[in-house]
Amino acid sequence: MDRPSENFTLALKYKRTLGPVVGAFLTGLRDGRLVGIKTAEGRVLCPPLEYDPANGQRTGELVDLPDNGTVESWSWVSEPQRKHPLERPFAFATIRIDGADSALVHAVDAGSRDVMAAGLRVKAQYAEERTGRMRDLECFVPIA
Amino acid sequence: MAERCAVLGGGQTHHRRVRDDVSIAGMLREAAERALADADMDWSDVDAVVTGKAPDPFEGIMMPELYLTDALGGTGKPNIRVHTAGSVGGSTAVVASHLISSGVHERVLTISWEKQSEGDTTWGLSGGRSGGTGAGGAFAPYMLRYRENSGAPENTGFRVALKDRRNALKNEYAHLKLANLTEEAIKESPLLWYPVHRLESCPTSDGAACMILGNEKAARAHSKPVAWVRGTAVRSELGQFPGRDPVDPQAGRDCAADVYRQAGISDPRKDLDCVECYVPFSWYEPMWLENLHLAPKNEGWKLTMEGVTELDGDLPLNMSGGVLSTNPIGASGMLRFLEASMQVRGVAGEHQVDGASLALGHAYGGNAQYFAMWVVGSDPD
Repeated sequence: MDRPSENFTLALKYKRTLGPVVGAFLTGLRDGRLVGIKTAEGRVLCPPLEYDPANGQRTGELVDLPDNGTVESWSWVSEPQRKHPLERPFAFATIRIDGADSALVHAVDAGSRDVMAAGLRVKAQYAEERTGRMRDLECFVPIA
Repeated sequence: MAERCAVLGGGQTHHRRVRDDVSIAGMLREAAERALADADMDWSDVDAVVTGKAPDPFEGIMMPELYLTDALGGTGKPNIRVHTAGSVGGSTAVVASHLISSGVHERVLTISWEKQSEGDTTWGLSGGRSGGTGAGGAFAPYMLRYRENSGAPENTGFRVALKDRRNALKNEYAHLKLANLTEEAIKESPLLWYPVHRLESCPTSDGAACMILGNEKAARAHSKPVAWVRGTAVRSELGQFPGRDPVDPQAGRDCAADVYRQAGISDPRKDLDCVECYVPFSWYEPMWLENLHLAPKNEGWKLTMEGVTELDGDLPLNMSGGVLSTNPIGASGMLRFLEASMQVRGVAGEHQVDGASLALGHAYGGNAQYFAMWVVGSDPD
């Protein structure tokens, strides 16, 4: 016997207001460029923060940064899981963007664990379709 | 011997339905920077940070106090989070005051907030289940029972709403500012949960409230008037148990008796100059007047109807416009505590009660089961 049924998707959509700093960073990613911010002491933070973790002071001027950076530390993921940024083995790494004084965490598509090393030079690789979200920055790749 | 504790400064955001001009961190900073400026302090002067907000599913960020550490200048300092549902803004201030009165710290920043526009509060209240009634649906039966038991006239609720909405017009930070209201207009507004009409109910707000508390040394060194914390109390009871009176909860009665005893108050109706208490729906004014020992059982409504609780009455209640005008849930309790402190410091501006020197701040939460109160005075004892 047929029973009446209807598909139903239960969802709760949280909304996040990003504010002037994180909003500028994600807008930059959408446009395919990295944005950092200067602290009162003149350090450059990337990703940018609204408030300096060192002393709680409000940060200042947004600055455009290049796509290149240097791996500071890394951990190899040999068996990526469903929610990982890449389907093939990759490294999670802290990467200091050129001109920045802090590091950001992201994936490095290195191909092989043997390529990974502190000091490895890498370059940002952006997704083709970008919507102003973190995944617009697909991963970093070694500079040949 | 316990250290004395005082409010050195306070600040709040401009509260609105949606504060999409700021991040959560930016919203908290707005309140905190006002409080620090009022206290003539910088972030480096703060010894510890005490944060409160209503349940984390409201915005969907678990333990947000961790990510807010940078914004609250909390790096390398004790950061304490308080959770007590709707009463949290009050109990957060109480916890902060104990860090001073116990002698552990000299200057503590305490802040409470909610950004309701980033989630769905009724869904969050229901623990993720759909079909929840929300707070109004939960409290309406208690209000109806109060009305029936006390024989209060129907327009008691309208009178409360009219008063609080008029007071809000004098408060530059209040969310709802509804001018030219009448009792008739309140009665004609949609009936949400019998007997409560829309204009007798609190709004949904984004906002934050912050206070800087200090010990006696810090208070004496401050160039501005301070509010001395004369007593603090919290009480809880189960939300449901046989014989519970949810209209006049024992935990509330006990909490009030405790805080009055600490403050040396024997007749609160006579000794208190004003009261800022948590009234999210109009009928809670007469109910809490009785629970707070300010009126005999079933007679709280008479104070409302006689104008005693008006801004120029003998015992003004909710001078700021109250929760009926501004409801960033996690901050709502602290806004009551903050308003009480502003009154005895004499800095409440257009909603100042002339000569107020002793005030009660009150918050409640859950199923009318969690209570937090403090009494503040313009003198230390």
